[in-house]
Amino acid sequence: MATKSLIGTYNKKGQKIVDPDYLFYDAPRERQFMTGSEVVREAIKRANVDVSISYPITPQSEAAAMVGDLWVEGYVGEYFRGENEFAVMSECAGASFGGARVFTTTSGPGTLRAYENFPMWVGSRLPIMLNMMVRGVNSPLSIQPDTLEIGLIIDTGMLIWHAESAQDFFDYLLMGYMVAEEPDVHLPIAICIDGFFVSHTKDDVYIPSADFTLPPYDPYRNPMPVMDMEVPPVRMMRDPFVMKSNYISYATQASWQQETRAACERSRKHTIRLLGGLIEEENTDAEILIVSSGTAVAQGREAVRLLAAEGIKVGIVKIKTIRPFPYEEVRQATKNAKIIFVPEFNVVGWMAREIKASIPDNHRVVEGPHVAGGMTMPPEVIVEEIKKVLAKKKESIHE
Amino acid sequence: MSKEKIKINQEFYDIMPLEYRELVEEGTYGKENRGWKDVGESKELIEEHSLCAGCPESIAFRYVLACLPAPEDTIMVGSTGCTSLVFPHVAVHNIHSLFGNQNAVASGLKRALSFRFPDKIKDVVVLAGDGATVDIGLDMTLQSWFRQEKFTTICFDNELYANTGGQSSGLMQKGFVAKMAPAGKKFDKVPLPEIAKSSGCHYVVKMTVSKPNRVEKAIREAILVAREIGPTYIQLYTPCILEIGKQMMEGLQEMRDSEGPNKRFEFEEYVSDEARAYLDTVNPKKKKRKKAIVTK
Amino acid sequence: MRKRINLRMSGLGGQGVVTSAHVLATAASKEGKHAISNPFFGAEKRMAPAESYVRMADERIYDRGELVYPDVIMVFHPQVITMGKCYTMPFYSGIKPGGLLMINSDEPLPLEKADLEFLEEQNIPILYVAATTLAVEIAGTELATNMGMLGALMGATKIVGMDAMEAAIQDRFGKKYIASGGTATLDEAIKKKFAKKEQLLKKNMDTIRRVYDIGAEWAETLKTPMLV
Repeated sequence: MATKSLIGTYNKKGQKIVDPDYLFYDAPRERQFMTGSEVVREAIKRANVDVSISYPITPQSEAAAMVGDLWVEGYVGEYFRGENEFAVMSECAGASFGGARVFTTTSGPGTLRAYENFPMWVGSRLPIMLNMMVRGVNSPLSIQPDTLEIGLIIDTGMLIWHAESAQDFFDYLLMGYMVAEEPDVHLPIAICIDGFFVSHTKDDVYIPSADFTLPPYDPYRNPMPVMDMEVPPVRMMRDPFVMKSNYISYATQASWQQETRAACERSRKHTIRLLGGLIEEENTDAEILIVSSGTAVAQGREAVRLLAAEGIKVGIVKIKTIRPFPYEEVRQATKNAKIIFVPEFNVVGWMAREIKASIPDNHRVVEGPHVAGGMTMPPEVIVEEIKKVLAKKKESIHE
Repeated sequence: MSKEKIKINQEFYDIMPLEYRELVEEGTYGKENRGWKDVGESKELIEEHSLCAGCPESIAFRYVLACLPAPEDTIMVGSTGCTSLVFPHVAVHNIHSLFGNQNAVASGLKRALSFRFPDKIKDVVVLAGDGATVDIGLDMTLQSWFRQEKFTTICFDNELYANTGGQSSGLMQKGFVAKMAPAGKKFDKVPLPEIAKSSGCHYVVKMTVSKPNRVEKAIREAILVAREIGPTYIQLYTPCILEIGKQMMEGLQEMRDSEGPNKRFEFEEYVSDEARAYLDTVNPKKKKRKKAIVTK
Repeated sequence: MRKRINLRMSGLGGQGVVTSAHVLATAASKEGKHAISNPFFGAEKRMAPAESYVRMADERIYDRGELVYPDVIMVFHPQVITMGKCYTMPFYSGIKPGGLLMINSDEPLPLEKADLEFLEEQNIPILYVAATTLAVEIAGTELATNMGMLGALMGATKIVGMDAMEAAIQDRFGKKYIASGGTATLDEAIKKKFAKKEQLLKKNMDTIRRVYDIGAEWAETLKTPMLV
């Protein structure tokens, strides 16, 4: 969260600093028709970002370049292109250690190259915002949408939110900072969108005026000392942990890992307030449910329409936060369901795994349909899968 | 940082550790003409060193900290290795994050501090071993120089991976037999000072730490140049006595033996014209005195 | 008009396939319709296959990504068909019965007999437009090919009105626009062609209007109206 006392004042760019709730819920919004990349520009323009570091990789390059324009225009404090994603994420860490609000973007292979940084961000309690425009990872080479990489960062300890639409994306980018920067959370946050399906797709987005901006980050509302020599430079410990192999050194490591995980859990209350819940549900009294996140939900919604036209009632559950995972919410939302379909844009089905781990009688979960490597999942494919499973069920009942 | 910020609340005074009370009362933050002569004379900014007894790196560490021109506004960035065992005892803010990313972290840090404190000087100093600087982190070392990032990079060159048990590194001499180079290292010591010059560093020094007044001059000038002009690089020979089979008391001699004429750590200095012009403006007194001596 | 109209535009990199999808969807959005447009491309290269998609409806559209079941297919370059430079084979794969196929070519292409039979069976008329030739003639540059294609589509289907299209073109070319490298270069090329931005906008609109009439005349010759 941010400096409340500055509300009503103006930042260097001349934008009025407003209460985040005002920006999110009360400020008048106008309909705009824009791509996901442009959504990044509009959100970051209103986010009082201090430092942003970029590196080209499809499909996030356009958005990253637009943040550079914001820097030239004075909306962002510092900006440069780093040398590779591992370095970029370390540069982001340096900026965050130094007390800056930081924004960066990456995709697919970039996420994996940067990987070592993510648990370090978590352990160092750096509330960096990472926008992941997810795409396939090699090999073979692919630049197309694929959500495998979300599954790969799931246990780094970061907060992970998955936006379905351009509108979600805009709101999550701004709200994400407010949750990640809460002193009892203070963790990095990955705002994920599906590459091309959101990044390059023009869609309706309702946005408030750029005359308003979020309050700036207050680095001193931090569970860790800011590395700026403006707070006492304490001697951190008598013996560095790695100096000795003894119980106390293991216990220190273990308890800090528990604490960072607990901080992730503590983000729930802030997230529920801002996002209106960790999940969104529709017709969950139906016996058939579609449960997923991101574009898979969007495609699911179209499938629900097609099936409704044929008289088949299907409900839908959209999971907004992958970490923390809404175990309890999913359990409640699926309690009436006889069959739960989990459409996914990846080959492993990590979302199905999460859901199976959350609910009783998890044989109800159908892992699929799956597409991968950049394939589209037309609603017809989901419809077909649902009908196929229903037909089998009928058969087995008749037998 | 002003010293006010670290003053101890009287009510907590008696429960604060002794070393912290000493640091607040006798620490050399803000002291003019800080230098190596303060070592042993005043409260040092390093409490203990947690390195091998007799390790030359420990005295190098003490000199570096004693010679920072403004420790009250200096943030250091380290990397994994022997140096990371020392940093927890150091009383300036310092960051350890990953192995090899120190120059990237410092780039982001320096940018953030410049933006947050436009009217203040905040020095950023990287201090890492040769594995971190030259092997795993080489691209980030060089890229920060190409980008003209305004901070100083100090490499403690012990010519091998000491903390992991003596494996061959890029700065190891050719032919040296070590772990992972069981038949002797096949290629020359990487000429990083040369590379630093052509990569945009404005002040480059290669030396041992046998002569503290020289170390003092190099550290001070490198940090001042980085503040105003651009990146600077200092490579210090801090032999790993353990891995080259020396005794505790032999570190100093090893350094002296390696810095003679045509030896690999013979003193070398490069100062760009821009940096020279700047240093002439900040060192006017010294210059005059030198001239006076010459004219005598 | 169908409740939902899906358009697939297949062409080659540099022809403005992505731009025309975005412009068409923006025009629909300006008319108060729900619209979604997105491109799909591999490595961004001139003359490499490029596709983009527009979905329009009176209700909120969630569906996105590659369009598998289009109502309208617009082929921007004969090579899409003759050299198989399209994402799905055959080039009309997935087209819905009663849809429309538009091809940019000065004269009818020698389509396979089986293909022609299929299209006829599915009641899909083919509209040949000499979009590139007309673009050169009217705007003085083949970079306006996509405007010709849009004009013909509008004339034949009345899918969006001229005012909305003009506003969308103004949005796209009238102000600073961030595009990927290749698109940005082409933007610069076409801007250099015209002394003033207004001239670029006008030439684009001239092309659309002229080819609109060709599309409209063609539609009148059809026995059954399209997209019902």
